[in-house]
Amino acid sequence: MTNFNWLLDGSIVGLYLLVTMVAGLMVRKYVGKVEHFLVAGREMDVYLGIASLAATEFGIVTCMYTAQNGYEKGFAGATPGILMAIAMAAVGLTGFVIKPLRDSGVITIPELLDKRFGPRVRWAAGVVIVLGGLLNMGVFLRTGGQFLVLVAGLDVRYLEIMMTALLVGVAVYTILGGMLSVLVTDFLQFVVMSLGLILVTILILMNVGWERLVTTVETHYGPGGFNPFVNPTMGWQYVLFNLMLNTAAVLTWQTIIARVLAAKDTKTGRKVYTRTSFFFVCRFLIPGIWGIAALATLGPVGNTLEAMPRFLSTAVPAGLMGILVAAMLAADMSTDSSYMLTWCSVIYNDILAPFRKKPWSERKGLFWNRTIIALIGIFLLLYGLWYPLKGDLWTYLGVTGTIYLASISVLLIACCYWKRANSWGAVASIVVSAAIPISYLVMEQLPSTAALAKTIGPYYSGIATYLLSGAAMVIGSLIKPKALSREGVA
Amino acid sequence: MQHWFWWALTAACVIWYSTITVYVAIKGAKDIKNMLARLDAQSRNEKEVEES
Repeated sequence: MTNFNWLLDGSIVGLYLLVTMVAGLMVRKYVGKVEHFLVAGREMDVYLGIASLAATEFGIVTCMYTAQNGYEKGFAGATPGILMAIAMAAVGLTGFVIKPLRDSGVITIPELLDKRFGPRVRWAAGVVIVLGGLLNMGVFLRTGGQFLVLVAGLDVRYLEIMMTALLVGVAVYTILGGMLSVLVTDFLQFVVMSLGLILVTILILMNVGWERLVTTVETHYGPGGFNPFVNPTMGWQYVLFNLMLNTAAVLTWQTIIARVLAAKDTKTGRKVYTRTSFFFVCRFLIPGIWGIAALATLGPVGNTLEAMPRFLSTAVPAGLMGILVAAMLAADMSTDSSYMLTWCSVIYNDILAPFRKKPWSERKGLFWNRTIIALIGIFLLLYGLWYPLKGDLWTYLGVTGTIYLASISVLLIACCYWKRANSWGAVASIVVSAAIPISYLVMEQLPSTAALAKTIGPYYSGIATYLLSGAAMVIGSLIKPKALSREGVA
Repeated sequence: MQHWFWWALTAACVIWYSTITVYVAIKGAKDIKNMLARLDAQSRNEKEVEES
């Protein structure tokens, strides 16, 4: 049973979808070049950047895993958000990596790596970025569909239909308008999403009450529900892994970096980072509170990922339910569109680069970009239907993200600040960084190695990836003879 | 108050997020208008250069 009223709430959702689609399609006339399509002609200003970055980095999938963190770990589950906010503020204030990156005028990170490490490293970096990014994004659709089905009280049989409808809607305006449509719809989606998040949080704080939330966490998790270092499922290894993961994400996650690259200048890009940083605390804490409220109200449930939407389906009244569903659709659509465009930009700009011996015409470039987005959409649909998620969602995203975050952050820092870095170190770093998380994911799926994977755990595996990736860069660079380094690009 | 840190952080989130939403809604709309105007001007300039 759910409070979703098809007439009232359905109308609110329908109106939101109509306005978004119209806005997304209207700006397509401004797309005349590949640069318009991929980085909005580098005309993005600060506040549009804040809205776009916040909307992109908060999807239904974010809401689900952060709520799951709150449900399973209490307030301590918001630790990754605090770490990310600190990392983002520090990078925005100092301009560490993002300043040289934006100043270089590139469209993607691998393009900058090409200038230092050569075209082969550019290509390999592109492949790793797309692999990590698409595996990461692969669970977005299913999780989004799961939320909507539970909150709106639909039959689970409609999950696949919900997923397909979500994707097709997003793909249409992203294919036609590229980054311009993404920015404009992100802005609308930020406003709708924020309205829903704030109203539902106030409702929960008023109805469930702060004292009850605190008591629930104390009862179920004791001091570990408030302090990650004493939580038996977290500990120093969880905090360290998340510090490395979030710092690397702030420096190199292509969807975040795309906002710096689309900014009208470096100063604007840094301001976007600094002023959006606190949003990342909200991003974890607000749904975390929803998850704690679900624990307080429903008690222990079998599937912790579904606890929050089940709770909301009866706790949110009709009318506000429409705003909530519109907000979550907004969150999901902005994330999906930005992610599809971002991985498309890397495929087009870096992976297909060797096939463009002569520069392609703008028309041909736009055609290929649009085709790639459509193909990414088809992949996501198939992967989302096929991959069975095991373990908690945040850890899956962390492990798949690490495939590229570890090496690309090492490559980027070395590229900007270490003169001795060269292509041997870059290749070694990419190989190490991809091999460890992929091996871990495979071990987790195979019955014969699942127990060993569980013993190692995702946090030690993740920490090892970052450390060994850095070590590989140093060792690889130092063993390459200086004469060889001087001959080539690096 | 017990667990004042989480209480203060939650309060800061609700207040900051509400404020920034209104502020970004107003300023962001202006940014979009200016961005589209600049792109439009660029496109017209390029057409003029091509024609001349």
